[in-house]
Amino acid sequence: MPFQYLPVMAQNSAPKPPRVLVSPTKPAWCPIKKPLSESRVALLSSAALRLAHQEPFIPREDFNYRRVPSDPSAGELIIDHHSGIGRVPKQDPEIVFPRTALANLHKRGDVGSLAPFHFSFMGGLRDHGKIENELAPAIANDLKQAQVDLALLVPY
Amino acid sequence: MIGTAHDIMSQVTPPHALFVDHPVGRTFGPPHDRARNQAVLARALEELPKFTRSGEIRDPGLQWLSDGSRIWEDELRAEMRQDH
Repeated sequence: MPFQYLPVMAQNSAPKPPRVLVSPTKPAWCPIKKPLSESRVALLSSAALRLAHQEPFIPREDFNYRRVPSDPSAGELIIDHHSGIGRVPKQDPEIVFPRTALANLHKRGDVGSLAPFHFSFMGGLRDHGKIENELAPAIANDLKQAQVDLALLVPY
Repeated sequence: MIGTAHDIMSQVTPPHALFVDHPVGRTFGPPHDRARNQAVLARALEELPKFTRSGEIRDPGLQWLSDGSRIWEDELRAEMRQDH
């Protein structure tokens, strides 16, 4: 049986009420139309990731996002997310943001192409309406501009 | 979505959910293990053409420990306690 996160989170946050999980009001579904080997792929991360020279995220309610170059040689990644779980991934952000692994899959032909940029934002934001009406559409617009076929979200 | 929290994914119903049975914050393996990062990503992506409906969670059988033991769960609970 998979690890149950919600009871542990509720226990740890007591006496505050448990976190409310919200599904999108407009659930999205589309079949995968192209083989991966012909698809342009981008990563999405809620780890509040950025390059060192990019403006830091401001915990906890930062609704901006960063474009992170998909080329792994573009620079060191920094995680700004405030979660204590970050002690391990901050040692090596690639374990939550597999930029190098994806680039290698592209080199060996498994992935058609890489978007020029991946995207990162702050996970755990509480204003769900602002996520759905502002943050997500802005990222979706960038994905469309980049002609991305497949956006892979890795929650933090 | 490629995630480690099956219970959360089942509640928020992402359109394509791939479950990796690793501790949170280590979705693609331990730090600095590039071979494993790539193997996990490649295995998860193999599942993509198999989705037939929204809310489906596919489990490609990726385990944190090669023997399938779950001793990591106690360490994770302790780590999550420190988070608060």
